Amino acid sequence: MRHEFFFLIKDRAALLWMTIAFISAMMAVLLGVSEVYQQRTALAELQKLDRVERELTLDAQSDWGNAAYYTFHLTYDPPSDFAFAAFGERDVSPWKHRIRMLALEGQIYETDADNPDFALIGRFDYSFVAALLTPLLIILLLYDLRSGELAAGRLNLIKTSAGQAKRVWLMRSTLRLGGLYLALLTPLWIGGVIEGTPTSTLLSASLALLIYTLFWGALVYLIANERRTGSANLTYLTGIWLLVCAVLPALLVLTVNKSVSLPNGGDIVLTQREAVNDAWDIPKDVTYKAFLERHPTWTDFTGWDGDKGFEWKWYYAFQQVGDQKAEALSQNYRKAREQRDALIGKASFISPASLLQRQLEKLAHTDMKASLAYEESIRDYHKQLRKWHYPRIFSNKPFSSDAALAEIPKYQNVLERK
Amino acid sequence: MTAIDVKDLKVERSGKAVLHGIRFSVQVGEVFALLGGNGAGKSTTLLTLLGFLPVAAGSVSLNGISPSANVKKIRDQVAYLPEAATLYPHLNAYENLGYFLSLSKLKLSKAELDATLEKVDLQTDARSQKMETYSKGMRQKVSIALALLRDTPILLLDEPTSGLDPVAIDEFNRLVRSLAAEGRTILMVTHDVYGACQVADRIGLLRGGELVGLFGSNEGQKIDTQTVHKAFTERTGAKRAVS
Repeated sequence: MRHEFFFLIKDRAALLWMTIAFISAMMAVLLGVSEVYQQRTALAELQKLDRVERELTLDAQSDWGNAAYYTFHLTYDPPSDFAFAAFGERDVSPWKHRIRMLALEGQIYETDADNPDFALIGRFDYSFVAALLTPLLIILLLYDLRSGELAAGRLNLIKTSAGQAKRVWLMRSTLRLGGLYLALLTPLWIGGVIEGTPTSTLLSASLALLIYTLFWGALVYLIANERRTGSANLTYLTGIWLLVCAVLPALLVLTVNKSVSLPNGGDIVLTQREAVNDAWDIPKDVTYKAFLERHPTWTDFTGWDGDKGFEWKWYYAFQQVGDQKAEALSQNYRKAREQRDALIGKASFISPASLLQRQLEKLAHTDMKASLAYEESIRDYHKQLRKWHYPRIFSNKPFSSDAALAEIPKYQNVLERK
Repeated sequence: MTAIDVKDLKVERSGKAVLHGIRFSVQVGEVFALLGGNGAGKSTTLLTLLGFLPVAAGSVSLNGISPSANVKKIRDQVAYLPEAATLYPHLNAYENLGYFLSLSKLKLSKAELDATLEKVDLQTDARSQKMETYSKGMRQKVSIALALLRDTPILLLDEPTSGLDPVAIDEFNRLVRSLAAEGRTILMVTHDVYGACQVADRIGLLRGGELVGLFGSNEGQKIDTQTVHKAFTERTGAKRAVS
């Protein structure tokens, strides 16, 4: 063992790949920590501004309808203490929304668009380094382990000296994999210490990376044999890497996307907006009928003065009806995303790179489940806002900006609620 | 007492027979040289003895053990010097020797390494330099030193004097003789007729995978170089023997 370790530290190529692994992982962690810091700073700033803006807005209002219309409420999904390692859905789905008492679904999905920067290969975060670069580095460390010795005329000498060379290859592979693992893991733990990540999360991530490293190590060991030249081994292995880490995950996503159709987020926005726009031109009782099906409490409060064309309660009723009209589409959208995610989750057992990436995203609360939970938290919050505003608007209660400021429900994100 | 026994050995490589039933034995303390031109089957014989190639027919044994029965035990008893062995160029002589000896679970002191490097006449100042700076002859000396340091009863040497200058060859031959005198069994393959005649007790002449001649005896009589040279050029079809 001591001699193999000495042999490894004298092997410049092996040290180079390990250094590259360390630098890549360190860069990914630092970029991740920096991005998380920026997101937190942005959220802190927005929370401050949100309060100030609400105060100024409410001070200028005279009734609850106007107050509800002009007041924005910040909702947000702060990055977890492990988000620096895997940004996952945070790159493609919004993690902050300013919402109003208007129809909600359109507000949630109006920014629903893929981030073209990350649509192709994804962000250079730790999960990218771990899932995509690690196998490549393992290949570069191990592909020529035996074929290189044959080419140099040392293979038989090693076999004769060692009696059984399996022990030598196993030791060399283990030390190289161990070195690589440490080079990749150290930056993760440094990031974890900076971010205050729970040890259990770091241990889970370390275990996932260990299994992944061992899987690739075993695969490379089995495929890179001495009967082929080093360049032939490298060609085979890079082909497998490309297949497992790039082609297969892409095929999985394409197949799942093809088999589970997903309504367009834009269609939800359009449906809801058209419903709201149409409401101006249809009789009020049609709108109220649809509204009262869900909110029978306000049955006795929906009468209107024939001379009065506009009333806030009617306005908010048709906003609510707009959401009701888009509800089926929105539910299908969510269900389809959940379904796609579940299918990709199952299918990723044939793509270890996807499996590791998903595991890290799960630990970082940046997976689809977390993204959908954030959306649900916005719906819950909107419900609280409506519940708070409706008695005031429907009962024509006198407006008080102080009461509004003090009593309007505050948004609590998933982490705060825990 | 027989140390190496080869009986009617047939070996095939890629489906083609390369050894056609050769038969010879080497006694304990004897130096036996297998002489032949390129492709005669010399290295194949050594690789078969070491268990790297399967026996198609016949049998081989070293100290009574067949490689197919217990290859590890065979390799524990044999030091092998491959043809043109390239030790690790990024390590120096001590590091290379230390590493390869560790594979055999041997740990020797620097003084012991120096004593053997002295025997093979590797300059003292070169020993701590990386082997990428060595000449072919210097690399060969380290490889020979490694074979000696294994301290095994049998040595299988493939073209051991390749790359050595005439003085070094003389010294090597003397070293081989002294090892034999200590009771070591040495089987070397070479195409150097004069070198073989100088060092070997007996010489086997290989041609196209067949043993076409045996010269010498165990009685210490000197082998006549001219006779072997003549046989080598006639029986192996070589235009001239390499000296």
